[in-house]
Amino acid sequence: MKSLRYSLATLALIGTTHAAVAADNLEIIVPFAAGGATDIVARSFEPTFSQQLGVTSVVRNVAGASATVGTAEVANSEGNPNIIGYEPAGALSIQPSLKKLPYGPDSFTYICRTVSNPMFLMVSKSSDITSFKQLVEESQDQPFLYGSSGPGTLPHLAMAATVVNSDLKAEHVPYSGSGPAMNALAGNEIQIMADTETILENYDLRPLAVFADHRVEGYDDVPTVEELGLPALDFAVWQGVVAPKGISDERAQQYAEACKVTVESDKFKSFADKAKAGIAYLGPDDFKAFVQKRFETNKQVLEDAGLAP
Amino acid sequence: MFASLIHPRVLTALALLVAGAGLSITAWQGPESAMLVPRIVLTIWCVMALAILVGELIRHAPRQPKASPRVARSPLPLLMAAVLVAAVATASLGFLIPALPLVALTLWLFRIRRPLPLVLGTILIGGGLWFLFHHVLMIRLPALLTSGLV
Amino acid sequence: MDVILAAVGDAFTWQALLAIVIGTWAGIIIGGLPGLGSVVGLTIFLPFTFGMDVITSMALLIGVYCGSVYGGSITAILINTPGTPQSAATTFDGYPMTQQGRVDEALGWATFASFFGGVLSCVLLIFCAPQLAKFAVNFGSIEVFALVCLAMLCIVGISRGSLLKGLVCGMMGFFFSTVGSDPITGADRFTFGTYALSSGLDLIPVVVGAFALSEVFVRFSARDEEATTIPEARLRFPSLREIGRRLIELVRGSFIGSFVGALPGTGAAAAAFISYAAAQKLSPRRANLGKGEPDGIIASESSNNAVTGSAFIPTLALGIPGDVVTAMMMGAMVIHGITPGVRLMADQAQTVYALFVVLIIVNVAMLILSKPSIGLFRYLFKLPLGFVMGGIVMFSFIGAVSVRGNPLDLVVAALTGILAYVLRRGGYPLAPLIIGMVLGPALESSLRRGLLISRGDFLSFFTHSGIATTLFVLIGLFLVWTVAAGILDWRAKIADRRQPAESGARSATTQEGRP
Repeated sequence: MKSLRYSLATLALIGTTHAAVAADNLEIIVPFAAGGATDIVARSFEPTFSQQLGVTSVVRNVAGASATVGTAEVANSEGNPNIIGYEPAGALSIQPSLKKLPYGPDSFTYICRTVSNPMFLMVSKSSDITSFKQLVEESQDQPFLYGSSGPGTLPHLAMAATVVNSDLKAEHVPYSGSGPAMNALAGNEIQIMADTETILENYDLRPLAVFADHRVEGYDDVPTVEELGLPALDFAVWQGVVAPKGISDERAQQYAEACKVTVESDKFKSFADKAKAGIAYLGPDDFKAFVQKRFETNKQVLEDAGLAP
Repeated sequence: MFASLIHPRVLTALALLVAGAGLSITAWQGPESAMLVPRIVLTIWCVMALAILVGELIRHAPRQPKASPRVARSPLPLLMAAVLVAAVATASLGFLIPALPLVALTLWLFRIRRPLPLVLGTILIGGGLWFLFHHVLMIRLPALLTSGLV
Repeated sequence: MDVILAAVGDAFTWQALLAIVIGTWAGIIIGGLPGLGSVVGLTIFLPFTFGMDVITSMALLIGVYCGSVYGGSITAILINTPGTPQSAATTFDGYPMTQQGRVDEALGWATFASFFGGVLSCVLLIFCAPQLAKFAVNFGSIEVFALVCLAMLCIVGISRGSLLKGLVCGMMGFFFSTVGSDPITGADRFTFGTYALSSGLDLIPVVVGAFALSEVFVRFSARDEEATTIPEARLRFPSLREIGRRLIELVRGSFIGSFVGALPGTGAAAAAFISYAAAQKLSPRRANLGKGEPDGIIASESSNNAVTGSAFIPTLALGIPGDVVTAMMMGAMVIHGITPGVRLMADQAQTVYALFVVLIIVNVAMLILSKPSIGLFRYLFKLPLGFVMGGIVMFSFIGAVSVRGNPLDLVVAALTGILAYVLRRGGYPLAPLIIGMVLGPALESSLRRGLLISRGDFLSFFTHSGIATTLFVLIGLFLVWTVAAGILDWRAKIADRRQPAESGARSATTQEGRP
C-alpha cells in the first residue's frame, strides 16, 4: 500500500510538469523512433516552435518502412491544422520513386527546410588511398564494396550516382544504419562510404570528395565531385517541416513564420552546433521548389542505376 | 479415421501446413534475391508441419477424441473476438472508445459483475490508464479527433 | 586516477542520485508490467532529460534501462508472462518454481543474478572496454552469421516435449521477421499489396500477443480453478552458501551476456537465450532445467542484465549502438553534446567514467529497490483476477501501439494472441517463436551481406577468418552432440516400449497444461 502511494505521487509529480490538457494541441510527427538522429533535432526544434505558435505540442514518433509510414500519416491528415511532420530527405524525395506510396511530393503544404549537411565520399584512415583518382585506379582489378545505411537511402544514392558517372567500380552492401556500416568499414568489410560530417568526425575516416557545388568550410582541401571531372552531383542530408494539404493559407503563414524564428533562435543554433547539424533555412516556396528538384534528380539517379522499379 | 481428423491437435497441424504451403507459393513467385531466406524458412516450416501432422495422426488414430465440454461451452471465443474487434477498431475510432467496452467485457467475463466494481474498474483501468499515457506521460495513442484530445 | 575521482564526484551529486532512484524504480515497474518494456520506458523519460545536465539525464535513462530489464523477470516468474522480451527465458524455470510454491526463492535468485550480471559487466566495461571494442570490430557479417547460427541452435534445447513443434514455431517467428521491406534490396515481401504491412511486424506486439494476451486466454478458460490464483509475491535472497554453490553459473551467464552485448546488432533477449542454452549443456544440475531449477533463472537474468553494461561498449567506444535501446541513449547523449565515437574515451574521459560509476550505482539501487517494487506487484496481484487481467489487456494494448505508433500493431498483437493460444493448446512451445523473430533479421541480413562480400560463394564462409571457422566448428560439434544424444534417447525409449500407451498419455497431458 505504501509503495503504491509513492508511485502515484511520483506519477502526479511527472504530470504537473506537463500542461495536461491544452485547448490548442499541435502534433509533430517524427517518422523515426524516439532518440534517433532526426528525432533529437525535431525535439530541439519543438519547444521554440510551439512557443512561437502559442500552442502545446507533442512529438509523436510513428516509425517504420524507411520513414514513409509517419510521412503518410501527415499526408492522410488533409485539412487538419493541428498536425505537422518533421521529415527527413529520403521520405520526401527518394521513397516516392522507389515504391507505391499513399503520398507523393505534391501531397504536402511545404513549410520550411531546417538543416542540411553535405555528404562526403570517405574511406578508412587505415587505407592507403588518398585521392579519388587512386580509388578509381585501384578499383579496376577488384571492384570495391561501398556501404550504406540501407537500400534507397541517400548514402546509397550518392554512391550509385558516382559509380554510374565515373570509372569507379564498386558494389553496394547495405547495413541497418550508419553505425553498423562504420563497424564494417573499420573491419575492412567495405571500403567506401558516403555520409555527413558528423560521421566523418566521429570515426577514423578520410574524406576524398564532397557532393556539393562548392568546397565546404573546414574541409578546404577536399575537392567537389565536379572538380574531379564528374557531373555536378549534389547530395545532402536535409530535414524540413511539412503540413498536410488543405490547411488555410493563414495557418501555413503562421507555421512558416514560427519556423523561421525557431531556426534563427539562439537555442536551436547552439543545439545545431553541438549535434553538428548545418542550419540551412529555406522558406515555403523555395523549399517546395527544392524538394521538387531533388525528387526529379533522385528519380533520374535511380533510373540510371537500375534501382527504380 | 475421420473422427481422428477433427481432433484439435490434428487440425492445428493441418492449418500450419496449409499456411506454410500458401506462403511458399508467394515466396516462389517473388524476386530471387529477396526471397532466398524466406524460401529456406518456409521449406523447413512445411517439412516440419508435415512431420507433425503425420505424428499427430498416428498418435490420435487409435483413440477416440474426447470432445472437451468445458472448452465447447466457454465464452472464450467471445473474449478473443472482442480483443480482435477492439484492435481493428482502434485505427478508425481512436484508442479510448474501443478500449472501454473491451475492459468492461473482460471484467464481466472474469466474474466481476457487481455494478460498482465493474463501472469503477472500467473507468480506472480503461480510462485512467489511457489518460495517464495519452495526456500525462505524453505517449500519444491513436486518437479519434484531429486535435488528438480523445 | 584524478579523472576517476572527479568522475565519482560527478556521479555522487544529489541530482544524479535522485535521478537514479526515480529512474530505476520506474524502470522496474515499467519492465514488470506486461507490454511495456525498455523502449516505452525510455520514450516516456527522454523528454524530461532535455533540461538536465549530462550525468543526471544519463543516470535517469540508465536507471530506466537497467530497471526495466530486471523488472521483466518479476511478471515472468509470477504469472508466466515476461514483462519484456529480454526476460522470456526466465519463464522456463521461474514459472515452474512459482507453481511449486517457491516464488520467494525464484524472485530472490532473479534479483541477485540481475545485480551480479550488471555489476560484473560494469567491471568489464571499466577495465576492458577498448580491448572488447577492438575485438568486436573483427565481427563482420560472416562472423555474425556464424554466431547467430550457433544461437539459433538453442531452439533445439528450448523445445522441450517436441523438437519438431519447436522448430516449426522457430520458423514461424523467423518468417514473421521477413514480412515488410527486404533489408538488402528494399523490395516488399509478403505484404499482399497492403501498404500498412510494408513496415513489417515489430517484435513487441508479437511478444505481447504471444505471452501476455495468450496468458489471459489460458487463464480465462481455467478461471474457476484454484490453480489460477496468483501466489503472493515475496522475496528471499539466496544465502552466501547457496551463492557459492552456483557461482560458476552466475559468472558464466554474466560473461556470455557481457560478450554478446559488446557485439553490435545483438541484444539482451538473444543473450538470455544463448546463456540458457549454455546452461543446458554445462550446468551440473542440467537435468532439472525447465522443471524449476534456479540455474535457469540465473542463466537468463545474469546474462540479460550483463548486456545493459556491455551494450555501452560499442556505443561509447565506436559510436555504434547495439540495439534500439542504446540507440536512444546515444541520441540523448548527442543532445547534451557528447558524440560517441572513437575519440570519446580520449576527449571526455571524465564523463565516460562518471557513466560507469552511475551504472554501478544503478545496479546497487536495483538491489535495494527490488523489495518495495515486488511489494507493489504483490499488492496489484492481490486484486481480484478480473482486474489483473483487465489491466494486462490494457497494458498489452498500450505497449503494442506505443512502440511505433502504428494501429496495425494492435491487430498483430491480437492475432498473435489467438494464434499463440491455439499453439499452446496443441503443445507447441512459444519461446522458439520469439527466438526466431529476435535472431531472424540478424541471420538473414548477415547471410545476404556475407554473400555480397564473398561474391556469392557460400563455401568461403567457412574459411573466411579464424573466428568464423571456430564458430562453425562449434556448430558442427553441437549438432553431433545433439544427434548422438537423440539416438541414445531414442534407444532408451525403445527399451521402454513395454508401456507405450501409458507414457504417451502422460506426456500428452503434461503438454496440454500450460507450457
